[in-house]
Amino acid sequence: MSKTETKKVKKTAASYKPGSLRYIWYKLRHTPTAVIGMCFVVTLFILSFASPYFLIDERSGQPMWQYIDMRNMNALPSAEHLFGCDEIGRDILARVLYGARYTMSIGIFSTTVSLLFGMLLGSIAGYFGGHVDNFIMRCLDVFQAFPGILLAITISATLGPGFEKIIISLGISGIPGYARMMRANILSIRGSEYAEAALSINCPTSRIIAKHIIPNAMSPLIVQTAMGIAASGLMASSLSFLGFGVQAPTPEWGSMLASARNFIRNYPHLCLFPGIFIMLTVISYNLIGDTVRDALDPKLKD
Amino acid sequence: MAGNSENLLSIRDLKVEYSSGGKIINAVNGVTLDLPKGGALGLVGETGAGKTTIAKAILQILPDHATRSVTGEIFFEDRDLLKTPEEELQKIRGGDISMVFQDPMTALNPIMTVGDQIAEGIHLHQNKTKTEARQEAIRMLETVGISADRVDEYPYQFSGGMKQRVVIAIALACAPQLLIADEPTTALDVTIQAQVLDLIRNLKESQDTSLILITHDLGVVAEICDHVAVIYAGEVVERGTLEEIFDHPTHPYTVGLFGAIPELHKKVDRLSPIAGLPPDPTDLPQGCYFAPRCPRATKACAEKHPSVKHLGGTHYALCDQI
Amino acid sequence: MLRFIGRRLLQMIPILLVVAVIIFTLMELVPGDPVRIMLGDFATEAQVEEERERLGLNRPFLERFWEFIKGAVQLDFGVSYITKTSVSDELIERFPRTLKLALLSICVSALFGIPIGILCAIKANKLPDRIALVLTLLCNSMPSFWLALLLVLLFSVNLNWLPSGGIGGAQYYVLPVISSSIGSIAGIARQTRASMLEVIRADYITTAKSKGLSQKAVILKHALGNALIPIITVIGGQFSFLMGGTTIVESVYSFPGLGLYIISGINNRDYPIVRGGVLYIAFTFSFIMLLIDIIYAFVDPRIRSQYSGKKKKKSKEAEAAA
Repeated sequence: MSKTETKKVKKTAASYKPGSLRYIWYKLRHTPTAVIGMCFVVTLFILSFASPYFLIDERSGQPMWQYIDMRNMNALPSAEHLFGCDEIGRDILARVLYGARYTMSIGIFSTTVSLLFGMLLGSIAGYFGGHVDNFIMRCLDVFQAFPGILLAITISATLGPGFEKIIISLGISGIPGYARMMRANILSIRGSEYAEAALSINCPTSRIIAKHIIPNAMSPLIVQTAMGIAASGLMASSLSFLGFGVQAPTPEWGSMLASARNFIRNYPHLCLFPGIFIMLTVISYNLIGDTVRDALDPKLKD
Repeated sequence: MAGNSENLLSIRDLKVEYSSGGKIINAVNGVTLDLPKGGALGLVGETGAGKTTIAKAILQILPDHATRSVTGEIFFEDRDLLKTPEEELQKIRGGDISMVFQDPMTALNPIMTVGDQIAEGIHLHQNKTKTEARQEAIRMLETVGISADRVDEYPYQFSGGMKQRVVIAIALACAPQLLIADEPTTALDVTIQAQVLDLIRNLKESQDTSLILITHDLGVVAEICDHVAVIYAGEVVERGTLEEIFDHPTHPYTVGLFGAIPELHKKVDRLSPIAGLPPDPTDLPQGCYFAPRCPRATKACAEKHPSVKHLGGTHYALCDQI
Repeated sequence: MLRFIGRRLLQMIPILLVVAVIIFTLMELVPGDPVRIMLGDFATEAQVEEERERLGLNRPFLERFWEFIKGAVQLDFGVSYITKTSVSDELIERFPRTLKLALLSICVSALFGIPIGILCAIKANKLPDRIALVLTLLCNSMPSFWLALLLVLLFSVNLNWLPSGGIGGAQYYVLPVISSSIGSIAGIARQTRASMLEVIRADYITTAKSKGLSQKAVILKHALGNALIPIITVIGGQFSFLMGGTTIVESVYSFPGLGLYIISGINNRDYPIVRGGVLYIAFTFSFIMLLIDIIYAFVDPRIRSQYSGKKKKKSKEAEAAA
């Protein structure tokens, strides 16, 4: 009964509260570019974990992404190896698919780290004010005296190579931006008329924080996060390219490009595919991010 | 009738459509108006009735991104402004017709000195050098009651009333033939309102400028205007001279407007507001737009759009029940 | 204004000091022994110990830190462990190249990004805008090192027009500048479009139009000025990105600048190089941020008044909001 009834009501954009998570989800499902982006990300994720089970070298039984076949050194794309083979004869398609998990998830995880710690620091600074605020902000000043990528390089050099370590170093280098934004939002909301209006009708503080401050402070942060995932994915691959973070022989796209660059004069196809996939992934994240931004910040749209 | 030499401005069947979020907004639906030379016309109506859109259509400064279509005729002297090329419109804007905007807080460019903002128009329209234009700007500032030494200050250094004076100075800098004032006092304190209205009236008289005053305040209209047009849902529901409208309000909406004003000399227990809300401009009713709120509406009113009735003199009303 | 600059310069001292502490400590924690790397795997324990003694690496942390700070204040960052040459001399030679690369890139980015953004805003949602949006999305999503590789492939390997790396005349800057500015052009163009679209709807733009200004004058004189603040913020952010991004681009083109030097320092555990290089970048970076704040003041009189006024707190709020 109830099932048929809910089906009858055709949900439209107007039936969701603008700015709510459901509204964002509605927008994501109904914006073609975002749908393309999401499909690409999800498909690639699934392929990344599934491909080692079906892309298997027949003779040795090894997964193709790590099977070395010297006869296929630098082989050009062919029916057997769609993207060709790398400098020690591993199938590039299989490696690109396997490696998708790194670039794609590093962006998400490191942005989550930045967001959580940034929110925490920003809220503490904005809420307590005074000396606490001053101390936190000066610390952030110090961190912002480094360009982000240099900070990430330095931290990841200290931590050493590895998947979790690159997430931590990218995460840390992103904290100041989120913290500043959170603090500015909290300050502006605390002084806003609707917060005062809520106070004037004896709304309890906990409710003001839960119902007014957090939702209103969040939406710029969500926008920033949505855009940040793409940027940190890009940064992650740059770090691997420079030799920090995830390292060879793991087929992370950045480190694949780093080893491919030595062969660029004679075998340019080695450089092509990892780069294209970095770009497609970042584009997908950007398309999703743009839609989230449009949903939360309608004034930026036409 | 169009291009009548007695009328400085005559608008015939003006229609403006906006589009927003895939919907079509019928902002102005066939407006016809006349403004005699030297006259002062009050456009009265509720918020959202389309008054500002009419004003912006006259100057052709409707927002590009949202405007879908503008049809009809707007004769200024002998030219149809809707058919005038953009370069000539630029000479008319600020030179022959200028406008005072509703909200002085946002109508001034925050990063330019007020002197530069006034001088800009003068330099453009009167073939004056920058220094001459600046002298003229200082003179204009003094005319609107701001001392000359504030010429190099920025808008944020002025109060709301002072900003509106600057806006008026910009509008009157080139002695236009027609001044359109769009709710010039709405955003101001009551005490400042009277000053600004006096200023507009005095300048209108001393410079012999015609005036279109957009307002929802009938008191202001009575003080300044000699002609009145009542706007409802993008239509002129009644128009005529001040006496015709104020002494013989005919259209039920006009009657309703007068019923909603408190009067000092009459003892009335309750004001009588007009019940209901204006129609949704994206979805206008089929018949008379006012019918759903009209105390005198009949079945026919809801079905057939009313036609304009001539009530003698310059008095017209858009209603089938009179 | 001067007091503001002075205060900000003074604030830079403690920040740089803390940066020095952090970078020194971080380098202490980096796994791997510089002496082992230097002497290779076949060095005996005694040789390693002797070298450590010679480099002073056996002394306590605080003592070495004090040495470092004493040197850094005089811009002396010691001697490279590997090459035994003065780090300061090397930095002085390399720093101008990186600065030139970053400045050229940011100029190219702004020179292309801002006009593209303005055109998109004027033609919003029409074909040119859509094309530009797709292109900016592509450029924004392209890893700069990959673009650099592709450019090398096309212009150096295939066409043989430009050198694939190294340093020399102007031609050695072309490809690095292109690789590092493409992404920034896209970022700046997007921000310019967004803030122009927002500003174009402001009331003061309608005022400017109603004065009779041409579209060009309205856009360039009134809209752009007001749209600049967020654009400048993005340019500042992009500059920071470029200063860091030079590490990547420099390493693709073997461009002997600061970035490549720092990377090699990190890889070889050659700490004096890393400390010196990072401090140079941090200083330049803080200096550029100060410049950006000064540019804000030139663009916006309201910010200017905050800097010169007594309200010290306000400028910090503005920073935080930006």
